[in-house]
Amino acid sequence: MTPSEQADGRSPNRPRPVLDALSRAYWEGAGRGELAIQRCEECGHYQHPPRPLCERCASADFGYPAVSGRGVVHSFTTNHQRNVAGFEQAVPYVNLIVELEEQPQLYLLSDLPAGESDWVASGAPVEVVFEPIEAAEGEAIALPQFRPAGG
Amino acid sequence: MWAGRGKTAVVGIGFSQLTRTHERPLGQLAIEACRAAIADAGIEPSRIDGLATHPDQPFRGAGNRAGEDLVPAAFLIDHLDIGPEVEWYAQVSAGLIPSAIIEALNALMAGACTYALVWRAMHRPAGTYGAWREPFAGGDSQFTAPHGYTSPFQLHAVAYQRYMHRYGATREEMASLVTNSRANAQLNEAAFFNGTPMSIDDYLAARMISEPICLFDCDIPVEGCAALVLTTAERARDLPRPPAYVAAWGQHTAPRPTYVNYMLDDYMACGASTAGKLWSRSGLGPGDVDAAQLYDGFSPSTYYWLEAAGFCPEGEAHAFVQDGRIALGGELPVNTFGGSLSEGRLHGMGHIAEAARQVSGRAGPRQVEGAEVSVALDGSPLLRGGGLLFTREA
Repeated sequence: MTPSEQADGRSPNRPRPVLDALSRAYWEGAGRGELAIQRCEECGHYQHPPRPLCERCASADFGYPAVSGRGVVHSFTTNHQRNVAGFEQAVPYVNLIVELEEQPQLYLLSDLPAGESDWVASGAPVEVVFEPIEAAEGEAIALPQFRPAGG
Repeated sequence: MWAGRGKTAVVGIGFSQLTRTHERPLGQLAIEACRAAIADAGIEPSRIDGLATHPDQPFRGAGNRAGEDLVPAAFLIDHLDIGPEVEWYAQVSAGLIPSAIIEALNALMAGACTYALVWRAMHRPAGTYGAWREPFAGGDSQFTAPHGYTSPFQLHAVAYQRYMHRYGATREEMASLVTNSRANAQLNEAAFFNGTPMSIDDYLAARMISEPICLFDCDIPVEGCAALVLTTAERARDLPRPPAYVAAWGQHTAPRPTYVNYMLDDYMACGASTAGKLWSRSGLGPGDVDAAQLYDGFSPSTYYWLEAAGFCPEGEAHAFVQDGRIALGGELPVNTFGGSLSEGRLHGMGHIAEAARQVSGRAGPRQVEGAEVSVALDGSPLLRGGGLLFTREA
């Protein structure tokens, strides 16, 4: 898809996140331009989405440090089905799973900024960008998306 | 070896009509399937004293009214002419139907009931199946829906894409698996796609849903019900039909990530966790299996089961399914009834019914000659599925 197609009304009208006690730091961090990933204060394990307990040591003591935002494409799909309200005009669009560089198997599901998607391939190095959105209660947050590293 | 091997059996199988649209209340179809299963077992309905099901519907917005779009145990107690003395029932809250069958097997062995009826009633909603309609996304969905990622086929697409990338698998190879199931469905009069053959070219020309998942990689949602009657081996020997003895059951108990991050390695770990229990409990192995019924809600799941259960080495299922190896008459006939892809989406009950039929010599024109052992492995395998291993002899 081309940027002009996106400008022709193909940008999705996204479902808005309902922030909760576990997710607020992630979304508010994105609103500041930081990828804030839950990290166990006991053992240093990162996990995403945020969980009530550390999946490695069961600690409940967490921080949400900003990570580099760099990683590689683990896998991806191009969606053709009009199956998500707000994305009907956006098809075809890409979802990708990024493996963040901070830890093996630390995955983040995302999509792409409006524009070229031809570069997407398993193993491609990527970096985060942020698309401003509103959360359910109107909070100004942002959606982490990815583009080619150094692009 | 499991002390329960050969102590219980499937003795009756019944299906309702499988329809593409919701024409009759689901409760009517469930009664039709349950009566058929009880008649098939050759017992009076009053002998049924145990009930188990997984009543939930696997998509948002359905499962609202008993008898209309879901069939809980209470509905059958009220409407099926079973005995007044139902001793026991169970409704599993998550997972596919193996969990309900396992409950019934354990109840039979514990003496909690004598004849158990297990059913799975599936509703097929109007409109786009499982579409996301909400403007807000809470819970784990807040990490997926704002990105336009909400459907099981999308989760499967990223894992299958990874599989293809890692092992060099192609869509042409998958065509062999999918058209094999469609060919088998031509020998199954109950199958939704009986009478509708599919060629390799038909498969390759299908529209994409979420690449590399195309329309024919998705099972066919139907409205309908399948039911089983189970009893102890001692009672089974006195019934008119040959029993399918339960050699083992298995549930997956591997750690399971949130669905946001379902990855290929997780599918494999969960499949191995389930299948491994079947082999260790029965003393049998994949080399003993004469026919394999491997879940195919989405076609790549069958690859994962072939590898996780040890029918072929990891990464080789895409090659294993070539050259007629999984066809009737091949080395390992797979989904001999057509699978969910071609019989219809009964959430694994079709696979279990077929495994039972094969070892009791009741699979008709698709019977695998001399089948002594057949396995049903249900689940993606990541979703909380399970497996059942059946044998001809107790």
